[in-house]
Amino acid sequence: MTAPVTCPRCGAPIQPVSGAGDLCARCVLSAAREVPGPGDTGHRPPPPAQAELAEHFPAYEIGALLGQGATGAVYRARHRALGLERALKVIGLDVAARPGFAERFEREARTLAGLVHQNIVAIHDAGRAGPWFFLAMDLVEGADLRQMIRAARIAPREALAIVGQMCDALQFAHDKGVVHRDIKPENVLVDRSGRVHVLDFGLARLIDPDVEALTRSGAVVGTPLYMAPEQWRSPLEVDHRADIFSLGVVFYELLTGELPVGRFPPPSHCVQLDVRLDKVVLKTLEREPERRYQKVSDVKTDVQHVEAGRKPRAARHTPPSILGSTRPTWMDPTLKAFVILVLALNVLAVIAFLFYVF
Amino acid sequence: MNVEPDSDDSQFHTTRWSLVAAAGNSERAREALGELAQAYSFPLYAFARRLGVPAHDAEDAVQSFFARLIATNDLAHVVEGHGRFRSFLRVALKNHVANLRARERAEKRGGGRVRLGIDLADAEERFVADRVDPGAAPEEVFERDWALAVLARAMARLEAEYRGSGRSPVFDALRPHLQGELDPGQAARQLGLEPGAIRVAAHRLRQRLRAALEAEIRDTVGGPECVSAELDELFRALAAPDSGREV
Repeated sequence: MTAPVTCPRCGAPIQPVSGAGDLCARCVLSAAREVPGPGDTGHRPPPPAQAELAEHFPAYEIGALLGQGATGAVYRARHRALGLERALKVIGLDVAARPGFAERFEREARTLAGLVHQNIVAIHDAGRAGPWFFLAMDLVEGADLRQMIRAARIAPREALAIVGQMCDALQFAHDKGVVHRDIKPENVLVDRSGRVHVLDFGLARLIDPDVEALTRSGAVVGTPLYMAPEQWRSPLEVDHRADIFSLGVVFYELLTGELPVGRFPPPSHCVQLDVRLDKVVLKTLEREPERRYQKVSDVKTDVQHVEAGRKPRAARHTPPSILGSTRPTWMDPTLKAFVILVLALNVLAVIAFLFYVF
Repeated sequence: MNVEPDSDDSQFHTTRWSLVAAAGNSERAREALGELAQAYSFPLYAFARRLGVPAHDAEDAVQSFFARLIATNDLAHVVEGHGRFRSFLRVALKNHVANLRARERAEKRGGGRVRLGIDLADAEERFVADRVDPGAAPEEVFERDWALAVLARAMARLEAEYRGSGRSPVFDALRPHLQGELDPGQAARQLGLEPGAIRVAAHRLRQRLRAALEAEIRDTVGGPECVSAELDELFRALAAPDSGREV
């Protein structure tokens, strides 16, 4: 009888996980016990019961629990006086107890209320009822993109329509200085008429701006796979271009059903579609924000170019960085030669100046 | 609304185990029991073997055991007390094997005349390949086998969840991280992500495994309040048979 292999982590003989022989079952189970579970054992408190909320929300008839996420629970709620169905988001008490939450909530809620756009889930009311911070939002009857991706392959034409509307929503918010920060399939709803509704604008920042702290606490906001690289490097300094990256991840996933991780192939290598779209998608996924699209509306313009059978702007060559331009612009060769000449003369002038001074 | 994927496996759903009990001796009960029986047939097979049932009889013993459970409607009383499927089966199979010994072989084959069609094709091979300390108590090994079966099913559930949503590269790269925190370097290079992103994604993977484990366990205990305790027991069971002697 050969000696059993000892696990280098726990030091006990390896009990292999069947179907995954290289993993130590004991270590796997031990690691799983250390993370919060979703059910009765989790650190995340269970969502409040409808009866518990009812006394604090007399204006609403609280209905079914629609879902629970990192920030809190969402209920279907009927506004008694207006007879309107709403989605009532009730922020978890653990989240609301974090330092500075009340101020952040007030500030963000005010900003979010200003985001009135046909592709953004509107906020109708926000505030505090008893111990609960809440947001009353549009109730969208439909499916989120995660459910759609799981249910069936999304046709490229449909994907382009969805991305176009996401661009509209994001551009509108960006123009008002609001960055979403957590664009992912779960945050994009499509109603029965095909209209896109982006939700949870700015909520990522509402919870806690410190990503490292979130990582440690396990209350991770968003899915890291959709986050732009700079969101990891300097989470406090991201701008709207982080949303453009996340949009790119969703775009790629809608087209191919896969995530663009590692050395990923251009979308047209995975599914049959216009190769000109590759350039558009890849430009949204540039690791450096400077190399991405600089405005989300440009993504939509390029998508429309491709749909109309024209070349997207992204397909035209990127200007040399010496020009300091942050977005690709097209130049005719004469103009380009002229610009290079002027720059060269400038450089010479600077050198001459330096010689003169020193 | 930030609804996480798969948050629908709520703690309020009916467990298969309670369905078995509630449905009593019906077609529904048989279906639910059949599914559980198939899922946990190997631990029972190996337990029967360790109790001394020879290889050529062990499969029949397991099949007739479940057939008898349905025929006699024994399950109904057991579940009333929020019992656990695992401990109930362990005790009941032991009794069943003792009864079988007292009877004729022909009768044993007949059993309750209902077969659930549990597939035990590779059970004997697995049993022989399993190098367990010969001194370990059959009950102890049964508990370990049960824990491994729960974990294997949860892993399969997790894998299906990731592959089904186009996250195969993530699953493959982060699998080793299911054993606990690892240096994110290799996975970061593989997936082209920042180490911070890998740490979070690995944490998320472990969380999803935890959710899958709880979903599996809910099917085998009387109520959601028992899930945590059962998870602890499974962990202890994995630690026991071999390492107990080594340390």
